[in-house]
Amino acid sequence: MPNTEYLKIPKERIGVLIGKEGVTKEHVENMTQTELDIESETGSVTISPSESMEDPLSVWKARYIIKAIGRGFSPETALKLLDDDYILDIINLPDFVGKSKKAIQRQKGRIIGREGRTKEIIKEMTNVDLSVYGKTVALIGDMERLQIAKEAVKMILEGVRHKTVYSFLEKKKQELKRKEFENIIIKD
Amino acid sequence: MAEKERWGVANIYSSFNNTIITITDITGAETITQWSGGKVVRADRQESSPFAAMEAATRAADDVKEKGIIGLHIKVRAPGGNGPRTPGPGAQATIRALARAGIRIGKIEDVTPIPHDGTGRPGGKRGRRV
Repeated sequence: MPNTEYLKIPKERIGVLIGKEGVTKEHVENMTQTELDIESETGSVTISPSESMEDPLSVWKARYIIKAIGRGFSPETALKLLDDDYILDIINLPDFVGKSKKAIQRQKGRIIGREGRTKEIIKEMTNVDLSVYGKTVALIGDMERLQIAKEAVKMILEGVRHKTVYSFLEKKKQELKRKEFENIIIKD
Repeated sequence: MAEKERWGVANIYSSFNNTIITITDITGAETITQWSGGKVVRADRQESSPFAAMEAATRAADDVKEKGIIGLHIKVRAPGGNGPRTPGPGAQATIRALARAGIRIGKIEDVTPIPHDGTGRPGGKRGRRV
């Protein structure tokens, strides 16, 4: 099955994708049963399935993992995407705040917060991994929680006060807890 | 005419609210079968769940096998446009379920419509006010 995929990642992330003496690259290849062809000059990556591939989705998954690494995640976090439940979502900052470099810088600062406090709170409350890198905010997590984290980030981008966002997260967390509880009851 | 291996196309539309599987012949003009998450579960909020997608996919696979199709090419689509551009949770489950039902999987393609600068995002200048 010829089923290759191409994608481009920032040049400075190539080193992370390859790893020390190619460890990370090999690990990704083994886990997803694919072969990666990395051009370190341009940053383009070609993903092709290896012959022993069984899972038809592995190329897809490899693509998301590489995209995540390209978006500033550490390889360990990106490899969480091997699990079916985890998905990657990327928020493009210029879509919300315009092209101005200053505006992007400012909003990145607001998402991260003083000494990374806001970022930590979003991470802790929703159990979603967050990476603010370049002109994007990338999120890795399971569907339901990711929606909440995304909503929170969007609120910050729209200019809502941090306090309001925190209370929103608190509310959503309670809701999730209640839902989980209900699900257990239904199953019983 | 000798019976050859017949292939079809599975168009999977996967949003956060539902998963719709439309299986057509290779030209895409003739629909063979159509299944969605909403056809297999009762509750609205479960329409997009991986479980509903899996159930719909296995039923679609049964219909397809009856017609003598052995493999499917896959076109995955997210809402696109101004909405989310990553396929919802049902997409992976669907493909996996189809493969498990004994159908060969050909090319997997992402056909999410992406605007070359389309209409404006909802919300207006001052954002969504609640």
